[in-house]
Amino acid sequence: MHLYTNFFGLKIPSYGLCIAAGLVLANIVAVIIIKRNKLDFNDFIILEAYCLLGAFTGAKALYLIVSREYIDWSRISDFNYFNELILGGFVFYGGFIGGFLFAYIAGIAHKIAAGTYIRKLIFLIPFMHAFGRIGCFMAGCCYGIPYHGVGAVVFPEGSYAPAGVELFPIQLVEAAALMIIALIIFTVQIRTDLNCTIEMYLFLYGVVRFFLEFLRYDSLRGHLSELSTSQWISILMIVSAIISYKIQFSSKAVRAEN
Amino acid sequence: MGVASLVLGIIAIIFNFIPIPGMGWLSTILAIIGIILGALGRKDPAKAGISTAGMVCSIIGLVISLIFYIACAACVGALAYA
Repeated sequence: MHLYTNFFGLKIPSYGLCIAAGLVLANIVAVIIIKRNKLDFNDFIILEAYCLLGAFTGAKALYLIVSREYIDWSRISDFNYFNELILGGFVFYGGFIGGFLFAYIAGIAHKIAAGTYIRKLIFLIPFMHAFGRIGCFMAGCCYGIPYHGVGAVVFPEGSYAPAGVELFPIQLVEAAALMIIALIIFTVQIRTDLNCTIEMYLFLYGVVRFFLEFLRYDSLRGHLSELSTSQWISILMIVSAIISYKIQFSSKAVRAEN
Repeated sequence: MGVASLVLGIIAIIFNFIPIPGMGWLSTILAIIGIILGALGRKDPAKAGISTAGMVCSIIGLVISLIFYIACAACVGALAYA
């Protein structure tokens, strides 16, 4: 609802401010967890930086894929147009896949046990993502379907959402769902000895995103048959979470038998 | 690695304030590389000081570029249509 936030007279883009706030807060929490678990801070920073690089590349790549029909490829050699494409437009799922991939590569390249860090800190992904969704709400992007019930929001002129129309507050609902997912994973991690935080995240977010996609109304959504690109990725996430959990469970059972 | 990290971090911060197209995302990438080099450099106790300085500068550069240059897909979908 506020494209820009006034900060001591300085106009700061609200979306970027929310993303940066999420990243800074998540890092503060991460440092506390790393110290408690006696993990190496430098290794964490290396993994995080690779993860960010992968997220940047992956999110951009998926954005270019889903919006390929709308991009004027004949103007790609025009630096200003190319710069606009690179600057704006990131798709979360692309970033998620790219980030994971780069963290895994960094683990191998620098001999870091990436899996340990990812399992301990994965709850920070939905935590940061929730801030991103609040940023979407502030900018009026990633908006919901027309809706006239409780909690309907009307975006003003100048927002990315259609102005003056009552819409479902999908950004806030997703932000709340993400915070709940983060809390569930964190609670399970500290209260139980279950070692399946990655699978939990993949499953929970996959389910949430799959259903919330039906309530999205923004036009820039890649589609494959009846489902959106994000819904297909959600299905893939849910299936891989179940398979990974089954593999872990069966290998534990085999070890227990022996 | 510490010196390289410091140089990249400072360049990343400066690039954020240069109003030329392309500086935003370029500073993001430079800052991330600076952070990696800084963290690697900190593993050597003799170069930990300069590496920490490089890492801090790179983090500042990254946060500034995130605030001012990152937008989500739908926000700038209109640019692609233009």
